[in-house]
Amino acid sequence: MSDRASAYTMWIVLLSALSFVCVLGMVWGELMNHHHVTAALIGVVLLAYSFILLLLRKGGFTGV
Amino acid sequence: MPELTGTGTPQTPQSAPAARGARIVGFLCDWAVASDGLVRDDGTMRDLPGVTLIKIPCSGFTRPAWLEFALRNGAEGVFVCGCPLGDCFNRYGNNLIGDRIEQLRRRLERQRINPERIGAIFYRRDAQEEFVSAVRAFAEKVAGLPGPVLPPARPPAAPRGAAPAKPAEAPAPEQEGT
Amino acid sequence: MYKRALGRLLDATLRLDTVVGRVYPDDFNPLYYTGGLANLFLTILVLSGIFLFFYYVPSFNDAYASVQFLTVNVPYGQIIRGIHRYAADGFIIVILLHFFRNWFTERFRFSRDEPWISGMMLLAFAGFIGVTGYILVWDQRSEALVAMTGNAASHVPLVGGWLRDALFGGAGLTDLLLPRILFLHVGPAVALYVFLWWHYTRIRAPKVWPPAVWTLFALGFILLLTGLVPVTSQPAASALQPPTGFAVDWLFLSPYWALRVLPPLVLVALGVVLVAYGLYIPYQLPETRAELGIKDSGVAQVLDANCTGCELCYYDCPYNAIVMVPSPNPGVTKAAQARKLRAVVLESRCVECGICVGACPFEALELPGYLQVDIQKKVLSACQS
Repeated sequence: MSDRASAYTMWIVLLSALSFVCVLGMVWGELMNHHHVTAALIGVVLLAYSFILLLLRKGGFTGV
Repeated sequence: MPELTGTGTPQTPQSAPAARGARIVGFLCDWAVASDGLVRDDGTMRDLPGVTLIKIPCSGFTRPAWLEFALRNGAEGVFVCGCPLGDCFNRYGNNLIGDRIEQLRRRLERQRINPERIGAIFYRRDAQEEFVSAVRAFAEKVAGLPGPVLPPARPPAAPRGAAPAKPAEAPAPEQEGT
Repeated sequence: MYKRALGRLLDATLRLDTVVGRVYPDDFNPLYYTGGLANLFLTILVLSGIFLFFYYVPSFNDAYASVQFLTVNVPYGQIIRGIHRYAADGFIIVILLHFFRNWFTERFRFSRDEPWISGMMLLAFAGFIGVTGYILVWDQRSEALVAMTGNAASHVPLVGGWLRDALFGGAGLTDLLLPRILFLHVGPAVALYVFLWWHYTRIRAPKVWPPAVWTLFALGFILLLTGLVPVTSQPAASALQPPTGFAVDWLFLSPYWALRVLPPLVLVALGVVLVAYGLYIPYQLPETRAELGIKDSGVAQVLDANCTGCELCYYDCPYNAIVMVPSPNPGVTKAAQARKLRAVVLESRCVECGICVGACPFEALELPGYLQVDIQKKVLSACQS
């Protein structure tokens, strides 16, 4: 893998890990009935996904 | 001077004067990169005298047949320049010409014309430097391509029922091993 | 002077494209999908709005309480309310992006004026719907908005009183007010889809959704805001305590802030002038291409002798300017003998771009200013020099 692709891979992995942590937080939020925490964490996960998609394209893993 | 009828007299890129570079015809649309300051009165580019620009209302206006016409009449390379993909002034003319050029490349490759001789580039109005660099890179690439633009002409098939030993009219191909 | 300003704004737009283009590739660039982004936000608004509509009661006594019930007692009620509130702000932001971008790149020229006119109406309706939304909550801000709007409306010469009564169902605060405001919120929202039909009718395959990257981003941002800054009402409206100041949502309520400094009649006149100017924008610069430094193409012409009715031009025209009509008589060329259809160009819709010419394999379309023979002559002289 080229250097650029590996830099993108690192960020993709980081964002995926962050998303996973947020999902754990969502579970906690729902159990505690803190729905605004869940909503904010869903927001973070969706934002992270949008950047993961962008990085996948820029790293050459997906796309035209 | 190269033959305009394309009867297969082989031309090598070295026959073009080195100062002029490869002979390229480019179609540039009115809404893509601005041509002010880039072209002389006769349509040739100021920085690349071998390249002639023809202005058209939209990159999607280009008929693929005209690109083939240029290659069959002395051009060594042709290109179309439109607006950046996604931002065509006429919504998707650049996407359409991109698709048509892909199809044209495949068809010409089957007819043994190098598809690298046809280019599609996309630059916005203020991207003059990038446009000139891209055209220069295209011209250099075309100049480095091997062999004549057109494959040697095939002799026409003899009419059925005629004497089979009649020799063909067209000259035999002169290059070897291409 | 306007031309120079517009030129500079176009340069700024292109520079913004370049900056964003460094991060996002062309098929992810949000600036190429501003219309699709607006449709995305509208969809979010409609879906969340339907949910809110199920719980809202349009009466003086119950409106505020019903909104409170939704916010506090309904599971995820506050979330949906927050989605609705923040999506509304996002809606106005992307509509303005769409408006400015299409203005500065002049995408309303040469028969493209109808999407512009319908777009201005969409913008005006969107602003109006936002204001009525703030009134529905019936908190102190709502009461102040009603008072200020009624005051401004009644200052309109001749029809002022009638206008205020039509908006609010009467001079003072009557029982008709909130049901009418609810109608004026949901009705225009439905009307938006009618205007959108008009907006799309001269456009083939409009880009109605943004790329997935931006759908995720928009939804994510809205939900993040909803979680971080939960939406609540201001203190309840009450007849005993007249409203004083209130928090201003700049995207919808800046005219009300302006009422602090401007007399109501001036504000109304300013609003009328702004909307009228907006409708005038496509016609402000002369239509001739010569003044733009572009060769006049002329409207696309079908060479009926050659047309085979293959429909390729029909499918490729970006402005729905070509229609296929039945062809009782055959064309002249051999390929055109068996045709059932032939192409007709609707001159009022043709922007003279020539995309149909590029699509036609049978040489049945020409632009008068760019005839095929002239193009071929230019190519030959380029090859011969």
